[in-house]
Amino acid sequence: MTDITKPTLSPSRSFLSQDAIQLFYRLLAALLICAALSVLTDSFLTLGNILNVLRQASLTFFIASGLTLVVLTAGLDLSVGANVALSACIAGTVIHQTGSPTFGVAVALVVGGLVGLLNGVMVTALRIPSFIATYGMLWVLNGLTYWYMAGETIHGFPAGFRQIGSGYLFGVPIPVYLLLIFLAIGTLFAQRTTWGQEIYAIGANPVAARLSGIPVARRLLLVYAVSGIMAGLASIIFLSRLNSAEADIGESLTLPAIAAVLIGGTSLFGGVGTVFGTFIGALILTLVLNGMNLLSVSANWQPLVTGVIVILAVWLDMKTRRRT
Amino acid sequence: MNHYKLSTLAALPLLMAALSSPAHADGETIAIFTKNQTNPYFQAVRVGADVAAKNLNAKTLHYIPTKPDSIPEQLSQIEDVVVKKPNAIVFIPVDYKAMVPGVEKINAAKIPVVNVTDRSAGGEFLSFIGADDYSLGLETGRYLLKTLGGKGNIVIIEGVKGSLTNIDRVRGFNDALKENPGAKLLASQPGNYQRLQALQVMENLMQSNSQIDGVLAANDAMAIGAIEALDGANRKAQVVGINGTKEAIDAIKAGKLLASGDYNGFSQGCLGTMMAIHALRGHPVIKEIVLKPTVITKDNYEPFAVPLEQRACPTFEEANKLK
Repeated sequence: MTDITKPTLSPSRSFLSQDAIQLFYRLLAALLICAALSVLTDSFLTLGNILNVLRQASLTFFIASGLTLVVLTAGLDLSVGANVALSACIAGTVIHQTGSPTFGVAVALVVGGLVGLLNGVMVTALRIPSFIATYGMLWVLNGLTYWYMAGETIHGFPAGFRQIGSGYLFGVPIPVYLLLIFLAIGTLFAQRTTWGQEIYAIGANPVAARLSGIPVARRLLLVYAVSGIMAGLASIIFLSRLNSAEADIGESLTLPAIAAVLIGGTSLFGGVGTVFGTFIGALILTLVLNGMNLLSVSANWQPLVTGVIVILAVWLDMKTRRRT
Repeated sequence: MNHYKLSTLAALPLLMAALSSPAHADGETIAIFTKNQTNPYFQAVRVGADVAAKNLNAKTLHYIPTKPDSIPEQLSQIEDVVVKKPNAIVFIPVDYKAMVPGVEKINAAKIPVVNVTDRSAGGEFLSFIGADDYSLGLETGRYLLKTLGGKGNIVIIEGVKGSLTNIDRVRGFNDALKENPGAKLLASQPGNYQRLQALQVMENLMQSNSQIDGVLAANDAMAIGAIEALDGANRKAQVVGINGTKEAIDAIKAGKLLASGDYNGFSQGCLGTMMAIHALRGHPVIKEIVLKPTVITKDNYEPFAVPLEQRACPTFEEANKLK
């Protein structure tokens, strides 16, 4: 009980060293997959393919990075995929009607953020468990998007806007730069700011966090809003890469994002994990699909292989965690 | 963007009026069952049904599960409709096996029903109107291979593994390839009918194959996703899709997509509704129409570029020739 009265911010520093060890194992797992693929196919270890994998991992990472903060507080956001779909469809319409990509980007971030904020309000003010609140939000967003789109597809965007998702700078795809920028921001925010450390503390022990004077409700609002904004950002990347959007694009995005967070070593019980781990998680998922395509693994076996790798990754994580 | 839903709402008072004045030569109400609100194909079916009903001076009432392709929801919609008793039903089962008990309920209520798109595994129908996924895949595949001169490196992007439409379309693609021994199938990989997944599959396949000449995609969204991947890598290949969506027609017009196999949802909606109304009025009914595949290309896309609402339904005489 003495712990509860003295939950200083310093203990969370010790997560860093344990996280460092966990990250090492995860990097090792990713490198092992890379090594295996390099042996199996000549096309894997080329600069072109590595940039290709990073670009593909970026979309999952954007969604999963915001989600990481939510999971760190022992919450979950199941509405991220549906949020991407709604934000993309609204932003797409705005760009078509105003001709202004800047306005479209702003709208996507605002829509995404508002949805996240609503999730936060349901979790804090109404005290609905996050799993249920965001599951309900998923249906509300799907309903809105289906109604709004009525079976149509929005397509064809200005060339300048398309650069965000499909352009290059010095031979490196723009989404890869964005990935690195948000990886740095996310890591710095979580590890080096008071707010970030408070998020860890809330996840580790919400009662202790409240007693020590952390504004728990406000921090929770923040993490759900950030998760929503990142979904809005992902919707922009989606629109500018694919040049189109329809109502059902979100369904296949949510579970991979959650898987990336968990493979990355963030605990569903909160308080443990890193944004960098989530990046490795997204990378592992992308590597597996990339490898199966390069090796032409039959479509029949691909879901099975993905499933086995996800289970193996989490099992290895739990095993190494016990040892440390 | 949402004119369709308003028209359903507007149809409600008309429906009330129709129900209160029975035994009238026209003004019948036809209940139209489709699978979901997300797939443009079913939107085409609904508009086709609306146009046919309007031509024949009847009314439509649409039943669409709010959760896409939901079996329990379509079953409860059938229960509603058995109570409300429309004059006839045009029915696309969300699942061709699971909905058989639902069809039996409709039969028991003695409401005439026409089966459209997916052939129900049981129950009694006035008529079946559909298209054949296998020949659609075959013809679209043939067109691509003919354009490539019967040779080249080919990639197939498959839809959802295990779905009926995908199995038959991919079988059609493969048979078209077998007819052309000069063509080489490099890979057949899953894109799950999703644009993003097809884009990523194509990006990955381009890493391991320096020369890809043709792409056979099991739907239009995946075909367009593959084209985005090719464009992004500054590479060229001939790409075909299936469904004849508006987006695909625009891409054919722009010279980006080679062709799209038309699943003909508009005509299916038209003909299904027409047969239902014909049966009610004692006019002749065609027992079965399996539409011949149309491959939409730069040479014949114009009629498909017309907005759905402005298209004309095939006449009964034309329908006889479509068999």
